[in-house]
Amino acid sequence: MINRIIRQIQRYKGWFGGGAALCIFLGLYIGLLASPPDYYQGELVRIMYVHVPLAHTSTLAYSVLFFGSIWYLWKRDPLVDNMCQASASICALFTSLALITGSIWAKPTWNTWWTWDPRLVSFTVLLLILGGYIMLRRLVDDPVQGGRYAAILAIVGGIDLPIIKFSVEWWRTLHQPMSFSTRGVSISEDILVPLTLMSIGCWLLFAYMVMVRTQILYLTDLLHAKKGRFLSQTHFSQTTP
Amino acid sequence: MPFFKTIRWVVWKDLISEWRTRETMSSMLFFALIVILVFSFSFSMDQDAARQLIAGIIWVAFTFTGIIGLGKSFTSELQNDCLESLQMCPAPKGAIYLGKVAANFLFMLSVEILLFPLFVLFFNLDVIEAVGTLLIIFFLATLGLSSVGTLFSALTVQIRAREVMLPVLLLPLAVPVMIAAVEATRGALSGDPFSFYSQWIQLLIIFDIIFTVVSFWLFEFILDS
Repeated sequence: MINRIIRQIQRYKGWFGGGAALCIFLGLYIGLLASPPDYYQGELVRIMYVHVPLAHTSTLAYSVLFFGSIWYLWKRDPLVDNMCQASASICALFTSLALITGSIWAKPTWNTWWTWDPRLVSFTVLLLILGGYIMLRRLVDDPVQGGRYAAILAIVGGIDLPIIKFSVEWWRTLHQPMSFSTRGVSISEDILVPLTLMSIGCWLLFAYMVMVRTQILYLTDLLHAKKGRFLSQTHFSQTTP
Repeated sequence: MPFFKTIRWVVWKDLISEWRTRETMSSMLFFALIVILVFSFSFSMDQDAARQLIAGIIWVAFTFTGIIGLGKSFTSELQNDCLESLQMCPAPKGAIYLGKVAANFLFMLSVEILLFPLFVLFFNLDVIEAVGTLLIIFFLATLGLSSVGTLFSALTVQIRAREVMLPVLLLPLAVPVMIAAVEATRGALSGDPFSFYSQWIQLLIIFDIIFTVVSFWLFEFILDS
């Protein structure tokens, strides 16, 4: 009675979780202990090995949410809706962690916890959109309608985010130059190895978390359906007996 | 019903019900007046400070006022199950959307045009040569706000806590409109040459086109049940 994909997730999710743990452990070891301090930033550079992968992963998570939402509106597959809901909350987690680590990094390098830097502003707006998404899902009584509305919000947000980033960048650069830029600085191997490891680790961690969360959401819905709570539900027509 | 006829009827319906009750426009106008008063209390402004802040004040007032109008646009359809009639109506959903956008756009723009002289009066602005450009900016930014806003007004009307959720969902998405409108208005009011701020007007045009098309397509999924 349980969906085929859910069963595949059950079988393979351990590999993703294990891979994530391995990559993050190795990346943290090399990044925090084995690699030399940076020429410009000294020991401070080490927070980058956590901050940059988190930020990358949150954009990856939003892309999953965006394309998943388009797919959901098109095919109305309830499992995709569960996956969108899962990636939205995990994307919110990664975005807030990226903002917090960025803020900790900004204090010693820019001498302020917060500045109206384009990337900070666009990540904050991303977090606000995700907050709206999560609230929206809780405020709709009919779960099918909620999934559809949330998908609409995610699609509008996904189209809007590049425009937001672009307009904020434009707005700030007209006022003041960016105080710190990594553009034009070539990245040495000492940085590249732990950074790549941590990025792969975070992506695997994201995949693992989405798998587990999707499973939970799907099984909860299935349980509710069995108890007969989803009356208006076309939800489980695709489950294999 | 043919497409353009539907648009005309939806606009006509909204205009007539507004003319008979005068609810939306009057509440928008009074709210905007209060916002202007609050701003003039909060900042003690001389001529220089006013010139610095006025573009932001104008757009904060216009956006919040617009949100009131946008929220009313679909909550008024809740009475007598009008929303369900719209859902069941054998007209293209996109046409209903465009009609609602047009009506909201007309309400917002007319409130803005009524309010702007008050801003000029209260804050001693010098606007004679900038009026044409300002009208273009008002037109484009209002179109952007009402195209996204109408979509989210229709979306939030069927959920709990709808009055709170409309601004919570709409304002982060309207960030580009706000930035572009404020920057362009500031440029126009300070008498800069047009080429200094024309890129913001281009951004407004791009936003309007993208979000009218996207919302037109997505609106079908809101009314369909």
